[in-house]
Amino acid sequence: MVEAMLEAQGIALAPGRAERLARGLEGLLQASAADPLRTTLEFHADPPGFVLALDKCK
Amino acid sequence: MSDAALLSLAQARAVPPRELQQACRARIAQWQPRINAFIALEENPAMGVPLAHKDMFYRAGRVSGCGSKILRERVASETSAALERLDAVGFADLGRLNMSEFAYGPTGHNEHFGDCRNPWNPDYITGGSSSGSAAAVAARLVFGALGSDTGGSVRLPASACGITGLKTTWGRVSRHGAMPLSHSLDTIGPLARSAEDCAVLLQAIAGFDPRDPLSSREPVQDYSESIQTKTSIRVAISTRWIERNAHPEVAAAVLAAAKALDRNPVEVEAPDFDALSAHCLVVMQAEASAQHSRWMRERPGDYSPAVRARLEAGYAIPATVYLEVLRARAAWLERFCAQILGGADLYLLPTIAIPLPTREQTGPRGGAEMPRLLAEVTRLTRWVNYLGVPALALPCGFDSRGLPVSLQLVGRPFAEAKLLAAGQVYQRATDWHRRVPV
Repeated sequence: MVEAMLEAQGIALAPGRAERLARGLEGLLQASAADPLRTTLEFHADPPGFVLALDKCK
Repeated sequence: MSDAALLSLAQARAVPPRELQQACRARIAQWQPRINAFIALEENPAMGVPLAHKDMFYRAGRVSGCGSKILRERVASETSAALERLDAVGFADLGRLNMSEFAYGPTGHNEHFGDCRNPWNPDYITGGSSSGSAAAVAARLVFGALGSDTGGSVRLPASACGITGLKTTWGRVSRHGAMPLSHSLDTIGPLARSAEDCAVLLQAIAGFDPRDPLSSREPVQDYSESIQTKTSIRVAISTRWIERNAHPEVAAAVLAAAKALDRNPVEVEAPDFDALSAHCLVVMQAEASAQHSRWMRERPGDYSPAVRARLEAGYAIPATVYLEVLRARAAWLERFCAQILGGADLYLLPTIAIPLPTREQTGPRGGAEMPRLLAEVTRLTRWVNYLGVPALALPCGFDSRGLPVSLQLVGRPFAEAKLLAAGQVYQRATDWHRRVPV
Protein backbone atom coordinates (compact mmCIF):
# COMPACT_ATOMS: atom_id res chain seq x y z
CA MET A 1 0.00 0.00 0.00
CA VAL A 2 2.69 2.49 1.06
CA GLU A 3 4.90 1.35 -1.80
CA ALA A 4 2.10 1.97 -4.30
CA MET A 5 1.37 5.39 -2.83
CA LEU A 6 5.00 6.44 -3.25
CA GLU A 7 5.32 4.85 -6.65
CA ALA A 8 2.35 6.89 -7.87
CA GLN A 9 4.34 9.99 -6.91
CA GLY A 10 7.48 8.80 -8.70
CA ILE A 11 9.34 8.00 -5.46
CA ALA A 12 11.29 4.75 -5.25
CA LEU A 13 11.46 3.34 -1.73
CA ALA A 14 14.87 2.21 -0.54
CA PRO A 15 15.04 -1.61 -0.36
CA GLY A 16 13.43 -3.08 2.75
CA ARG A 17 11.85 0.17 3.84
CA ALA A 18 8.16 -0.44 3.16
CA GLU A 19 7.27 -2.29 6.34
CA ARG A 20 9.17 0.04 8.64
CA LEU A 21 7.73 3.11 6.95
CA ALA A 22 4.19 1.76 7.26
CA ARG A 23 4.74 1.05 10.98
CA GLY A 24 6.16 4.50 11.63
CA LEU A 25 3.39 6.18 9.69
CA GLU A 26 0.70 4.30 11.56
CA GLY A 27 2.19 5.38 14.89
CA LEU A 28 2.48 9.00 13.79
CA LEU A 29 -1.05 9.24 12.43
CA GLN A 30 -2.48 7.55 15.54
CA ALA A 31 -0.65 9.99 17.82
CA SER A 32 -1.87 12.92 15.79
CA ALA A 33 -5.44 11.60 15.61
CA ALA A 34 -5.48 11.13 19.40
CA ASP A 35 -5.62 14.89 19.82
CA PRO A 36 -9.11 15.60 21.21
CA LEU A 37 -9.02 19.18 19.97
CA ARG A 38 -8.93 18.08 16.34
CA THR A 39 -12.35 16.51 16.64
CA THR A 40 -13.94 19.65 18.08
CA LEU A 41 -12.71 22.16 15.52
CA GLU A 42 -15.21 24.69 14.29
CA PHE A 43 -16.30 24.40 10.67
CA HIS A 44 -14.70 27.75 9.83
CA ALA A 45 -11.26 26.95 11.24
CA ASP A 46 -8.69 27.02 8.45
CA PRO A 47 -4.86 26.99 8.27
CA PRO A 48 -4.42 30.76 7.61
CA GLY A 49 -6.25 31.43 10.89
CA PHE A 50 -2.95 30.67 12.59
CA VAL A 51 -1.49 34.01 11.43
CA LEU A 52 -4.34 35.86 13.12
CA ALA A 53 -3.92 33.77 16.25
CA LEU A 54 -0.24 34.76 16.49
CA ASP A 55 -1.31 38.39 16.56
CA LYS A 56 -4.17 37.78 18.97
CA CYS A 57 -2.03 35.86 21.47
CA LYS A 58 1.00 38.15 21.60
CA MET B 1 43.67 41.62 25.20
CA SER B 2 41.93 39.50 27.81
CA ASP B 3 41.20 35.92 26.82
CA ALA B 4 38.78 36.12 23.85
CA ALA B 5 37.16 32.90 25.00
CA LEU B 6 35.80 34.73 28.05
CA LEU B 7 34.50 37.89 26.38
CA SER B 8 30.88 38.78 25.74
CA LEU B 9 29.86 40.24 22.39
CA ALA B 10 29.63 43.71 23.90
CA GLN B 11 33.11 43.38 25.40
CA ALA B 12 34.49 42.03 22.12
CA ARG B 13 33.31 45.12 20.26
CA ALA B 14 35.84 47.14 22.26
CA VAL B 15 38.77 44.95 21.14
CA PRO B 16 40.63 45.62 17.87
CA PRO B 17 38.98 43.28 15.31
CA ARG B 18 42.30 42.00 14.00
CA GLU B 19 43.22 40.71 17.46
CA LEU B 20 39.82 39.06 17.81
CA GLN B 21 40.16 37.34 14.45
CA GLN B 22 43.63 36.08 15.34
CA ALA B 23 42.40 34.74 18.65
CA CYS B 24 39.41 32.99 17.03
CA ARG B 25 41.49 31.52 14.21
CA ALA B 26 43.99 30.19 16.73
CA ARG B 27 41.19 28.46 18.61
CA ILE B 28 39.76 27.09 15.37
CA ALA B 29 43.14 25.59 14.48
CA GLN B 30 43.25 23.98 17.91
CA TRP B 31 39.65 22.70 18.05
CA GLN B 32 38.59 21.90 14.48
CA PRO B 33 40.36 18.51 14.32
CA ARG B 34 38.57 17.49 17.49
CA ILE B 35 35.02 18.72 16.85
CA ASN B 36 34.67 19.24 13.05
CA ALA B 37 32.53 22.34 13.49
CA PHE B 38 33.53 24.06 10.25
CA ILE B 39 32.78 22.83 6.75
CA ALA B 40 34.81 25.69 5.27
CA LEU B 41 36.91 28.35 6.94
CA GLU B 42 37.18 31.44 4.79
CA GLU B 43 39.43 34.44 4.50
CA ASN B 44 37.26 37.44 5.15
CA PRO B 45 38.67 40.92 4.71
CA ALA B 46 35.78 42.39 6.71
CA MET B 47 36.85 43.38 10.18
CA GLY B 48 34.38 42.98 12.97
CA VAL B 49 33.45 40.63 15.77
CA PRO B 50 33.87 37.12 14.31
CA LEU B 51 30.81 34.98 13.72
CA ALA B 52 30.24 31.96 11.47
CA HIS B 53 27.00 30.40 10.27
CA LYS B 54 25.24 27.16 9.52
CA ASP B 55 25.94 26.18 5.92
CA MET B 56 22.41 26.99 4.76
CA PHE B 57 22.59 30.79 4.74
CA TYR B 58 23.42 31.74 1.18
CA ARG B 59 26.10 34.29 0.31
CA ALA B 60 26.33 35.44 -3.31
CA GLY B 61 29.31 33.92 -5.10
CA ARG B 62 29.99 31.38 -2.34
CA VAL B 63 29.14 27.72 -2.02
CA SER B 64 26.28 27.00 0.42
CA GLY B 65 26.01 23.24 0.49
CA CYS B 66 23.34 22.76 3.19
CA GLY B 67 25.37 19.87 4.61
CA SER B 68 24.50 17.80 1.56
CA LYS B 69 26.13 15.91 -1.28
CA ILE B 70 23.50 17.23 -3.68
CA LEU B 71 24.34 20.91 -3.14
CA ARG B 72 27.97 20.65 -2.06
CA GLU B 73 29.21 22.49 -5.19
CA ARG B 74 26.29 24.91 -5.55
CA VAL B 75 27.31 28.56 -5.62
CA ALA B 76 24.63 30.91 -4.30
CA SER B 77 23.42 33.73 -6.49
CA GLU B 78 22.18 35.90 -3.64
CA THR B 79 22.92 36.64 -0.01
CA SER B 80 20.45 35.71 2.72
CA ALA B 81 18.62 38.52 4.47
CA ALA B 82 20.01 37.46 7.85
CA LEU B 83 23.63 37.56 6.63
CA GLU B 84 23.06 40.91 4.90
CA ARG B 85 21.79 42.36 8.16
CA LEU B 86 24.70 41.01 10.20
CA ASP B 87 27.14 42.35 7.60
CA ALA B 88 25.45 45.74 7.76
CA VAL B 89 26.09 46.12 11.48
CA GLY B 90 29.74 45.13 11.16
CA PHE B 91 30.08 41.45 12.07
CA ALA B 92 32.70 39.36 10.29
CA ASP B 93 31.80 35.95 8.82
CA LEU B 94 34.60 33.41 9.27
CA GLY B 95 32.98 30.61 7.30
CA ARG B 96 30.43 27.85 6.89
CA LEU B 97 29.52 25.60 9.78
CA ASN B 98 28.68 21.92 9.80
CA MET B 99 25.03 20.89 10.01
CA SER B 100 22.76 17.90 9.60
CA GLU B 101 22.15 17.13 5.92
CA PHE B 102 19.48 19.57 4.68
CA ALA B 103 18.81 20.45 8.37
CA TYR B 104 16.85 17.21 8.60
CA GLY B 105 18.26 15.43 11.64
CA PRO B 106 18.33 16.12 15.40
CA THR B 107 21.75 14.71 16.35
CA GLY B 108 24.55 16.35 14.33
CA HIS B 109 25.51 13.29 12.31
CA ASN B 110 26.61 14.02 8.75
CA GLU B 111 27.94 11.30 6.52
CA HIS B 112 28.98 13.69 3.74
CA PHE B 113 31.14 16.06 5.79
CA GLY B 114 31.75 14.00 8.92
CA ASP B 115 29.87 14.18 12.20
CA CYS B 116 30.12 17.32 14.24
CA ARG B 117 31.36 16.35 17.72
CA ASN B 118 30.47 17.70 21.13
CA PRO B 119 33.22 19.94 22.58
CA TRP B 120 32.48 18.63 26.09
CA ASN B 121 33.05 15.05 25.00
CA PRO B 122 33.43 14.10 21.32
CA ASP B 123 31.78 10.69 21.86
CA TYR B 124 28.45 12.43 22.45
CA ILE B 125 26.08 14.09 20.00
CA THR B 126 26.13 17.84 19.49
CA GLY B 127 22.42 17.86 18.77
CA GLY B 128 21.19 19.08 15.43
CA SER B 129 20.59 20.32 13.00
CA SER B 130 22.62 23.47 13.80
CA SER B 131 25.42 21.26 15.09
CA GLY B 132 28.41 23.27 13.92
CA SER B 133 26.86 26.52 15.14
CA ALA B 134 26.53 25.22 18.70
CA ALA B 135 29.87 23.40 18.78
CA ALA B 136 31.74 26.44 17.42
CA VAL B 137 30.16 28.80 19.95
CA ALA B 138 30.64 26.37 22.85
CA ALA B 139 34.34 25.91 22.04
CA ARG B 140 34.62 29.71 21.72
CA LEU B 141 35.75 29.55 18.08
CA VAL B 142 33.38 32.44 17.30
CA PHE B 143 31.20 34.83 19.29
CA GLY B 144 27.90 33.70 17.83
CA ALA B 145 26.28 31.89 14.94
CA LEU B 146 23.04 31.66 13.06
CA GLY B 147 21.00 28.48 13.12
CA SER B 148 17.56 27.42 11.97
CA ASP B 149 14.88 25.74 14.06
CA THR B 150 12.09 23.69 12.45
CA GLY B 151 11.65 21.08 15.20
CA GLY B 152 14.36 22.02 17.71
CA SER B 153 17.42 22.62 15.53
CA VAL B 154 18.63 25.68 17.47
CA ARG B 155 17.62 24.51 20.95
CA LEU B 156 18.80 20.89 20.78
CA PRO B 157 22.41 21.72 19.88
CA ALA B 158 22.40 24.69 22.26
CA SER B 159 21.33 22.28 24.99
CA ALA B 160 23.81 19.53 24.15
CA CYS B 161 26.74 21.95 23.83
CA GLY B 162 25.93 24.12 26.87
CA ILE B 163 25.25 27.44 25.19
CA THR B 164 22.29 29.79 24.73
CA GLY B 165 20.05 29.48 21.66
CA LEU B 166 16.88 31.29 20.68
CA LYS B 167 14.11 29.82 18.56
CA THR B 168 12.29 32.89 17.30
CA THR B 169 8.58 33.38 16.71
CA TRP B 170 7.54 32.07 13.28
CA GLY B 171 7.92 35.09 10.95
CA ARG B 172 10.13 37.17 13.28
CA VAL B 173 13.26 36.75 11.11
CA SER B 174 13.26 36.75 7.31
CA ARG B 175 14.04 33.42 5.72
CA HIS B 176 14.93 34.95 2.39
CA GLY B 177 18.10 33.31 1.10
CA ALA B 178 18.06 30.53 3.69
CA MET B 179 17.50 26.88 2.80
CA PRO B 180 13.83 25.92 3.21
CA LEU B 181 12.80 22.74 5.01
CA SER B 182 9.19 23.25 6.13
CA HIS B 183 7.73 26.69 5.45
CA SER B 184 5.05 26.46 8.15
CA LEU B 185 7.64 25.71 10.85
CA ASP B 186 11.03 27.12 9.75
CA THR B 187 12.53 29.85 11.91
CA ILE B 188 15.98 31.43 12.10
CA GLY B 189 17.66 32.30 15.36
CA PRO B 190 20.97 33.03 17.08
CA LEU B 191 23.21 30.74 19.11
CA ALA B 192 25.59 32.60 21.41
CA ARG B 193 27.46 32.63 24.70
CA SER B 194 24.60 34.22 26.67
CA ALA B 195 21.08 35.60 26.46
CA GLU B 196 22.60 39.06 26.31
CA ASP B 197 24.62 38.09 23.22
CA CYS B 198 21.55 36.48 21.62
CA ALA B 199 19.76 39.83 22.11
CA VAL B 200 22.50 41.64 20.19
CA LEU B 201 22.30 39.20 17.29
CA LEU B 202 18.50 39.11 17.23
CA GLN B 203 18.43 42.91 17.12
CA ALA B 204 20.41 42.77 13.91
CA ILE B 205 18.36 40.13 12.10
CA ALA B 206 14.74 40.63 13.24
CA GLY B 207 12.09 42.43 11.24
CA PHE B 208 9.87 42.43 8.20
CA ASP B 209 11.39 41.68 4.81
CA PRO B 210 9.30 42.03 1.65
CA ARG B 211 11.33 39.21 0.09
CA ASP B 212 9.92 36.77 2.66
CA PRO B 213 6.12 36.99 2.37
CA LEU B 214 5.74 35.07 5.63
CA SER B 215 7.86 37.52 7.65
CA SER B 216 5.92 39.54 10.21
CA ARG B 217 5.27 43.29 10.29
CA GLU B 218 5.21 43.19 14.11
CA PRO B 219 7.50 46.03 15.30
CA VAL B 220 10.94 44.96 16.51
CA GLN B 221 11.63 45.73 20.16
CA ASP B 222 14.92 47.01 21.53
CA TYR B 223 16.07 43.65 22.89
CA SER B 224 19.35 44.83 24.38
CA GLU B 225 17.63 47.61 26.28
CA SER B 226 14.74 45.45 27.47
CA ILE B 227 17.07 42.85 28.98
CA GLN B 228 18.80 45.55 31.02
CA THR B 229 15.50 46.70 32.51
CA LYS B 230 14.78 45.22 35.92
CA THR B 231 11.78 43.00 35.55
CA SER B 232 9.95 40.38 37.54
CA ILE B 233 9.45 37.02 35.84
CA ARG B 234 6.29 35.00 36.35
CA VAL B 235 6.97 31.35 35.59
CA ALA B 236 4.49 28.57 34.77
CA ILE B 237 5.75 25.04 35.27
CA SER B 238 4.55 21.43 35.39
CA THR B 239 6.70 20.13 38.24
CA ARG B 240 5.07 16.71 38.49
CA TRP B 241 5.48 16.08 34.78
CA ILE B 242 9.18 16.97 35.01
CA GLU B 243 9.71 14.80 38.09
CA ARG B 244 8.00 11.84 36.42
CA ASN B 245 9.41 12.14 32.92
CA ALA B 246 12.83 13.78 33.09
CA HIS B 247 16.01 12.03 34.22
CA PRO B 248 16.59 12.85 37.92
CA GLU B 249 19.74 14.89 37.19
CA VAL B 250 17.91 16.90 34.52
CA ALA B 251 14.85 17.38 36.73
CA ALA B 252 16.95 18.58 39.66
CA ALA B 253 18.83 21.15 37.58
CA VAL B 254 15.72 22.45 35.82
CA LEU B 255 13.61 22.70 39.00
CA ALA B 256 16.43 24.55 40.76
CA ALA B 257 16.59 26.98 37.84
CA ALA B 258 12.84 27.54 38.05
CA LYS B 259 13.16 28.50 41.71
CA ALA B 260 15.98 30.89 40.86
CA LEU B 261 13.69 32.70 38.41
CA ASP B 262 10.48 32.65 40.42
CA ARG B 263 10.18 31.50 44.04
CA ASN B 264 6.50 30.71 43.59
CA PRO B 265 5.96 29.50 40.04
CA VAL B 266 2.44 28.76 38.84
CA GLU B 267 1.78 25.01 38.64
CA VAL B 268 -0.04 24.05 35.45
CA GLU B 269 -1.02 20.88 33.62
CA ALA B 270 1.63 19.98 31.05
CA PRO B 271 0.71 20.53 27.40
CA ASP B 272 0.07 17.36 25.42
CA PHE B 273 3.68 17.25 24.17
CA ASP B 274 3.22 13.98 22.30
CA ALA B 275 0.13 14.97 20.31
CA LEU B 276 1.64 18.36 19.47
CA SER B 277 4.94 16.74 18.48
CA ALA B 278 3.06 14.38 16.20
CA HIS B 279 1.29 17.36 14.61
CA CYS B 280 4.65 19.05 14.09
CA LEU B 281 6.05 15.92 12.49
CA VAL B 282 3.07 15.57 10.14
CA VAL B 283 3.58 19.14 8.90
CA MET B 284 7.37 18.86 8.74
CA GLN B 285 7.41 15.58 6.87
CA ALA B 286 4.75 16.57 4.34
CA GLU B 287 6.37 19.93 3.58
CA ALA B 288 9.98 18.70 3.57
CA SER B 289 9.14 15.83 1.23
CA ALA B 290 7.31 18.15 -1.14
CA GLN B 291 10.34 20.47 -1.09
CA HIS B 292 12.65 17.60 -2.01
CA SER B 293 10.41 15.90 -4.59
CA ARG B 294 12.60 16.55 -7.62
CA TRP B 295 15.80 15.18 -6.10
CA MET B 296 13.96 12.31 -4.43
CA ARG B 297 12.76 11.28 -7.91
CA GLU B 298 15.98 11.93 -9.78
CA ARG B 299 18.78 11.14 -7.35
CA PRO B 300 17.55 9.46 -4.14
CA GLY B 301 20.88 7.67 -3.76
CA ASP B 302 22.62 10.99 -3.10
CA TYR B 303 20.89 11.37 0.25
CA SER B 304 22.21 9.59 3.33
CA PRO B 305 20.00 6.59 4.21
CA ALA B 306 18.67 8.34 7.34
CA VAL B 307 17.59 11.50 5.52
CA ARG B 308 16.19 9.53 2.60
CA ALA B 309 14.10 7.48 5.03
CA ARG B 310 12.73 10.64 6.70
CA LEU B 311 11.85 12.09 3.31
CA GLU B 312 10.18 8.87 2.11
CA ALA B 313 7.82 9.05 5.08
CA GLY B 314 6.40 12.41 3.99
CA TYR B 315 5.01 11.03 0.74
CA ALA B 316 2.69 8.71 2.65
CA ILE B 317 1.00 11.41 4.74
CA PRO B 318 -2.56 12.01 3.55
CA ALA B 319 -3.21 15.59 2.45
CA THR B 320 -6.34 15.72 4.58
CA VAL B 321 -4.37 14.86 7.72
CA TYR B 322 -1.76 17.51 6.91
CA LEU B 323 -4.43 20.17 6.43
CA GLU B 324 -6.47 19.11 9.44
CA VAL B 325 -3.39 19.44 11.63
CA LEU B 326 -2.80 22.94 10.26
CA ARG B 327 -6.47 23.80 10.85
CA ALA B 328 -6.03 22.94 14.54
CA ARG B 329 -2.92 25.07 14.95
CA ALA B 330 -4.61 28.37 15.87
CA ALA B 331 -6.84 26.68 18.46
CA TRP B 332 -3.84 25.00 20.06
CA LEU B 333 -1.90 28.26 20.21
CA GLU B 334 -4.83 30.02 21.86
CA ARG B 335 -5.22 27.16 24.34
CA PHE B 336 -1.51 27.25 25.22
CA CYS B 337 -1.54 30.99 25.83
CA ALA B 338 -4.77 30.95 27.83
CA GLN B 339 -4.47 27.73 29.83
CA ILE B 340 -0.75 27.01 30.15
CA LEU B 341 0.72 30.50 30.22
CA GLY B 342 -2.34 32.17 31.72
CA GLY B 343 -1.01 35.09 33.72
CA ALA B 344 2.61 33.90 33.55
CA ASP B 345 5.32 35.29 31.30
CA LEU B 346 6.80 31.98 30.26
CA TYR B 347 6.50 28.23 30.54
CA LEU B 348 9.62 26.51 31.88
CA LEU B 349 10.73 22.95 31.10
CA PRO B 350 13.86 20.99 30.15
CA THR B 351 15.16 21.26 26.59
CA ILE B 352 16.21 17.59 26.52
CA ALA B 353 14.78 15.48 29.33
CA ILE B 354 17.06 12.43 29.02
CA PRO B 355 20.82 11.99 29.43
CA LEU B 356 22.51 12.99 26.18
CA PRO B 357 23.06 9.91 23.97
CA THR B 358 26.34 9.07 22.26
CA ARG B 359 26.97 9.46 18.54
CA GLU B 360 27.17 5.70 18.24
CA GLN B 361 23.80 5.12 19.92
CA THR B 362 22.07 7.47 17.48
CA GLY B 363 24.16 6.95 14.33
CA PRO B 364 23.93 4.58 11.35
CA ARG B 365 24.77 1.60 13.59
CA GLY B 366 22.52 2.74 16.39
CA GLY B 367 20.46 -0.43 16.75
CA ALA B 368 16.96 -1.08 18.02
CA GLU B 369 17.04 1.64 20.68
CA MET B 370 17.72 4.44 18.22
CA PRO B 371 14.13 5.41 17.24
CA ARG B 372 13.14 5.68 20.90
CA LEU B 373 16.23 7.75 21.74
CA LEU B 374 15.63 10.16 18.84
CA ALA B 375 11.98 10.55 19.87
CA GLU B 376 13.07 11.30 23.46
CA VAL B 377 15.68 13.84 22.34
CA THR B 378 13.09 15.83 20.34
CA ARG B 379 10.11 15.26 22.63
CA LEU B 380 10.17 18.71 24.25
CA THR B 381 11.10 20.90 21.29
CA ARG B 382 8.83 20.04 18.34
CA TRP B 383 5.60 21.10 20.05
CA VAL B 384 6.97 24.66 20.26
CA ASN B 385 7.43 24.82 16.48
CA TYR B 386 3.87 23.63 15.94
CA LEU B 387 2.64 26.51 18.13
CA GLY B 388 4.98 28.98 16.36
CA VAL B 389 6.03 30.62 19.64
CA PRO B 390 9.55 31.66 20.74
CA ALA B 391 11.71 29.61 23.10
CA LEU B 392 15.10 30.16 24.70
CA ALA B 393 17.39 27.26 25.60
CA LEU B 394 20.12 27.99 28.13
CA PRO B 395 22.48 25.94 30.28
CA CYS B 396 21.41 25.22 33.87
CA GLY B 397 23.97 22.66 35.05
CA PHE B 398 26.05 19.63 34.18
CA ASP B 399 25.26 15.96 34.68
CA SER B 400 27.48 13.42 36.41
CA ARG B 401 29.24 12.70 33.10
CA GLY B 402 30.22 16.36 32.74
CA LEU B 403 27.70 17.06 29.96
CA PRO B 404 25.50 20.17 29.91
CA VAL B 405 21.89 20.23 31.07
CA SER B 406 19.57 22.84 29.57
CA LEU B 407 16.51 24.78 30.53
CA GLN B 408 13.86 25.87 28.00
CA LEU B 409 11.74 29.01 28.39
CA VAL B 410 8.71 29.22 26.11
CA GLY B 411 6.79 32.47 25.64
CA ARG B 412 3.93 34.12 23.81
CA PRO B 413 4.25 35.06 20.14
CA PHE B 414 6.81 37.88 19.69
CA ALA B 415 7.80 37.76 23.40
CA GLU B 416 11.49 37.30 22.59
CA ALA B 417 12.37 40.33 24.77
CA LYS B 418 10.73 38.74 27.80
CA LEU B 419 12.51 35.42 27.26
CA LEU B 420 15.87 37.10 26.80
CA ALA B 421 15.25 39.21 29.93
CA ALA B 422 14.49 36.05 31.91
CA GLY B 423 17.62 34.44 30.51
CA GLN B 424 19.64 37.47 31.50
CA VAL B 425 18.21 37.42 35.05
CA TYR B 426 19.14 33.75 35.37
CA GLN B 427 22.61 34.17 33.88
CA ARG B 428 23.36 37.08 36.20
CA ALA B 429 22.70 34.77 39.12
CA THR B 430 24.55 31.70 37.76
CA ASP B 431 27.74 30.93 35.86
CA TRP B 432 26.82 27.82 33.83
CA HIS B 433 26.99 29.83 30.60
CA ARG B 434 30.53 30.97 31.38
CA ARG B 435 31.96 27.45 31.55
CA VAL B 436 34.22 26.63 28.63
CA PRO B 437 35.23 23.12 27.51
CA VAL B 438 38.95 22.37 27.70
